[in-house]
Amino acid sequence: MSQKIIDEIREILPTYDSERVLKLTRDALAQGLDPLQIFEQGLVKGLLIVEDKWTKEEAYLPELMVAADIVTKGLEILKPELKARNEKRRTLGKVVIGTVEGDIHDIGKNIVVIMLEIAGFEIYDLGKNVPIENFIEKAKEVDADVIAASALMTTTMTVQKELADAITKSGIKTKYLMVGGAVTTKEWAEQIGAAYAADAIAAVRVVKRLLGVGD
Amino acid sequence: MKPLELLSRDDLEAIHKSSLNILEEIGVKIYSDKALEILENSAAYVDRDKRVAKLPSYLVEEALRKCPKSVRLCARNPKLDVTLDGRHIYGTTDGAGTSTIDLETGERRLPTKEDVARTAIVADSLDYINMYYTCVTPMEVPKNTHILHEYDAAINNTEKHFISGATDQPEPASYLIKMATAVVGGVEELRKRPIVSSVACMASPLIVPLEAIDPSLEFGKYGLPVEVMTMPIAGANGPITVAGSILIGNAQFLAGNTIIQMANPGAPIMYSSYPLSMDMKTGAFSVAFPEASLITVGHIQMAKYYGLPSYGGGTISSAKVPDEHAAYEKATNALLCTLAGSDVCGTIGLVENYSVLSYEQMLIDYEMYTMILKMHEGIKVDDDTLALDVIRNVGQEGHFLTQKHTLLHSREVWVPMLTDARPYLTWKEAGAKSVVERAGEKVKQILKTHKPEPLDSNVKEKLTEIIKDAEKNIANTS
Repeated sequence: MSQKIIDEIREILPTYDSERVLKLTRDALAQGLDPLQIFEQGLVKGLLIVEDKWTKEEAYLPELMVAADIVTKGLEILKPELKARNEKRRTLGKVVIGTVEGDIHDIGKNIVVIMLEIAGFEIYDLGKNVPIENFIEKAKEVDADVIAASALMTTTMTVQKELADAITKSGIKTKYLMVGGAVTTKEWAEQIGAAYAADAIAAVRVVKRLLGVGD
Repeated sequence: MKPLELLSRDDLEAIHKSSLNILEEIGVKIYSDKALEILENSAAYVDRDKRVAKLPSYLVEEALRKCPKSVRLCARNPKLDVTLDGRHIYGTTDGAGTSTIDLETGERRLPTKEDVARTAIVADSLDYINMYYTCVTPMEVPKNTHILHEYDAAINNTEKHFISGATDQPEPASYLIKMATAVVGGVEELRKRPIVSSVACMASPLIVPLEAIDPSLEFGKYGLPVEVMTMPIAGANGPITVAGSILIGNAQFLAGNTIIQMANPGAPIMYSSYPLSMDMKTGAFSVAFPEASLITVGHIQMAKYYGLPSYGGGTISSAKVPDEHAAYEKATNALLCTLAGSDVCGTIGLVENYSVLSYEQMLIDYEMYTMILKMHEGIKVDDDTLALDVIRNVGQEGHFLTQKHTLLHSREVWVPMLTDARPYLTWKEAGAKSVVERAGEKVKQILKTHKPEPLDSNVKEKLTEIIKDAEKNIANTS
């Protein structure tokens, strides 16, 4: 089997040529290559190159986001074949995520979703303006490992505390609450007994650390 | 971008006509015999005893007509040449300070040749700094050859255009020209590629100093550009009113230009202005009080009225250290003068009325300057920038982060070098450093890692020989 096309996906992805990467992904499938291989060795490794550049401040945020978007679109192409072959990505854990009730600012949360998904977490995105009980119900239903809640405004930040209290009271098995969003701080997270992530890359790191998985 | 205009066409004409009036009726005092002789031969009225020359207006206007309308400042590396054409903004280091805030100790000390070398390395590393003006005058080298040592330290550490600070005799100027000739490869080549220029500072009120004019006449012979600078102190050696100080400064510029053009017709000239205003309570001066900034804008507009390149204003301040005072004076002056369309408006690195070098300030000024350059680009409106299709594509509640349009334009956005816009916690985790601390770290990193293109070793040796020769032949008065 030809590894060459997977190498090419990895090398082209950091040039942000979406059409070309997606065409290569389809070609790789047509050649009968393992979809999981295409995803992990091609798309994700390509994204890691961009992520590394972003960490070094060589790549800009839109570059990281476009790269992540290409990976997400690539995954959509691969999904049917993954299913047909009954292959599954190794799931690192289940995360229920949303912006808290009263808050419709979800751009940061969306970025976190993309990065967590690519990292290998099973994501249940409840969207924005999510009532506390919906977080709890979903977490119970899917047996989530982590609930992640974002708040952008000082007025909605306090809802994160209410959520923390509700989780404790509900007795669900979900062990961890992760908070984030422009107004939140590490101190605030500590005060309400939650973990804190400052950005999407940090969110992946924090969830991995909480669950003791990956890297 | 259309330059900001504070003076109307009528105002400019009034200043011009009154300047002619000053030069013709009051005259200027001239400390150079050579300049007096040039003016005598050009039919000016010269009183040799008083050393006062009265310049007929036709002579002053003829001199203006002889000036090139754009001035090329060439660099050791031709890719770094710039042309001052009234439409572009360029950055330079500021000069010529007489004190250095030591990067390691933070204490003030006398400047050294090493400071010139190090500031040249920093300037060389910064993309939007186009020329290197000797930041400080080294004090450990012989007084009469200091500009040669400055050039030696600079040209070995930057490929950019070099602006020489003041010298009080024509001899060092001719040795500097020899050095530049050695670098560029011949006198004719130097005429084609003027890789050095110099500053000629007129004095107020109505004085043409020897040290300003004699070296300039020497530079003019070789077609090397001269900044004719005027720096009245409003209320002290210039009138207290903004218009009055614009007027006297303009008359002083015209006097300098007339002498240079009569001696070397077509010599490239930049109209330079660095006025000061006074604290009425203490009598202390600042280069960036509002009146000083307004006088500078007046001179920038006069330069444009004459069709000449202007060199005035920038990141200048009377602050003693890189602090909040430095920040607001520098930012307001540089923004105003850039919007007025000064051709050269960078002037990074000095505090206390361009007399004290701060390495940290070099980068803080650069940060401000790049911000202002971005603002000066103005706003481009076309189908692509309006991004209607992209807005349609995203619709409600989406985001623009993954749009190709965002990616394509993301490299056009201003990117900070020192400014930390991250939230409190991230900043705190990174050490809660002030911008001055961050600038200090960054400048140390530049000094450690930036390696300027070395000078050819034969040329390097030749420069050392020329300096030795100069030290032997020019009597040292210090």
